[in-house]
Amino acid sequence: MLEITNLHAAYGDAQVLRGVSMRVDKGRIVALLGRNGMGKTTLIRSVMGMTPPHVRQGSVTFQGQELRGLRPHEIAQRHIGLVPQGRRLFASLTVTEHLTMLGRAARHRSQWSVARLFELFPRLGERRQHRGHQLSGGERQMLAVARALTQNPELLLMDEPSEGLAPVMVQHLERTVLELRQLGYAILLVEQNLYSALAVADEAYILETGSIVHHAPVDALRHDRPTMHRFLGV
Amino acid sequence: MSMTVFQAMNGATFAALLFIVASGFTLIFGLMRIVNLAHGALYLMGGYFGLVVAHRTDSFTLALAAAALAVAAIGFGTYTLLLRFVGGNVLRQVLLTLGLALVLDDLALVIWGGDAFTVPIPEALRGPVQVGSLVYPKYRLFLLLFSVAVFIGLALLLRHTRLGALIRAGVDDAEMVDAMGIDIQRVFVYTFMLGAALAGIGGVLGGAFLTLYPTADSDILVFSLAVVIIGGRGSLAGTAIGSLFVGMLATFGQVWFPELAYFVIFGPMALLLAFRPLGLFGRTA
Repeated sequence: MLEITNLHAAYGDAQVLRGVSMRVDKGRIVALLGRNGMGKTTLIRSVMGMTPPHVRQGSVTFQGQELRGLRPHEIAQRHIGLVPQGRRLFASLTVTEHLTMLGRAARHRSQWSVARLFELFPRLGERRQHRGHQLSGGERQMLAVARALTQNPELLLMDEPSEGLAPVMVQHLERTVLELRQLGYAILLVEQNLYSALAVADEAYILETGSIVHHAPVDALRHDRPTMHRFLGV
Repeated sequence: MSMTVFQAMNGATFAALLFIVASGFTLIFGLMRIVNLAHGALYLMGGYFGLVVAHRTDSFTLALAAAALAVAAIGFGTYTLLLRFVGGNVLRQVLLTLGLALVLDDLALVIWGGDAFTVPIPEALRGPVQVGSLVYPKYRLFLLLFSVAVFIGLALLLRHTRLGALIRAGVDDAEMVDAMGIDIQRVFVYTFMLGAALAGIGGVLGGAFLTLYPTADSDILVFSLAVVIIGGRGSLAGTAIGSLFVGMLATFGQVWFPELAYFVIFGPMALLLAFRPLGLFGRTA
């Protein structure tokens, strides 16, 4: 589904990604792990075509089509949804407005109507007239996920979704992620919260100073104490 | 007493003109982070276009429509042919729009010369009207009502249409709008055209009572900048209050402290910014 091959990306002269290769298949949750500043968010931004960083080399294909050189909205229109780091909700838009930003035609094609999103996240239904900045941390994350679903994605890129959430909200988020996998979504999950990532992911890649240094099924990684200690500090 | 009321009305009607021009400026500044220094020149071009159409057709309404369309077209060209290619680079944007302002100014000087012109207004708007004990020019009251209509129209656009929601979302986080599958460049073009059209309409309305002359654009640009800085970029309510603030200070300043007219506006503005650097209604991105 998503295939990243030998990706090099840089901020100006600072090389951040050095030949990253990885893939995410349909119905799989793939965790991308690594300490702060290793290039996880840079990878997500590179896949989405957001600049900076500038992709210098390599390819990103989705369902066999090259994404490199496309603009972010063209990539999103290929049914790739982004749940960005820090949520990045629109402070002046209400919950409902967040979910109806796309044109009528695009919304009509989407299997995620506003009503269905409120079924998935009843709390958002109760807060439909609230603005982005009036929501709690957990509600914000729900809205960020719901907003990405309005694009009718087949692949979800989730960047640090558990960041700043109370444990009970992290569990809620994990249940949502697992539900989405059951529906057949492919999910690339960038996490610093190792335990949350291990709880839901099928396989994991570890990114260290811009390169993939380890790739393993999560079950294997869970028991591989030396690798976890060496690259993730646990 | 009646003199003070008269000056207050003058301040309010000047504020009305400033609001129409500065609302376009703040839309562009707020959404695209472009300080469009050609906004005053767009105002001037609108005024001259309106002047030509008003003379040819005897219709003030047609003059307004033609100026809005023509200046929106200049806005379209400016954005798609020039500004799009310097996205994100503030210095280049500032220099580019300043250069464009100089070109448009000189073009106006070549075409219309250095004389001052007044856009003719329809018979129905000429002369005074008596409100209680106050006798006041009808046209200026019309301008006040027109600006209220523009405020309501823009508020409806921003609050109740999808384009409005996209503009508000873009003011908050344009990159994220793009990452949702919405072509933010298209939203930018529409907004730039709308902002330019408002400058053009302002040029016709202002040209009917402030007169049009080759450097009229820099005066209106400086006032618009002050309005947006005081009100906070991208905020309609902020622009309305900023306009009233600047309009009143400019009018009363000229009457009470003519030698300090500019200081009366920019002194309080500096003071306000010391406490609220983002303006009255400004928010961090």
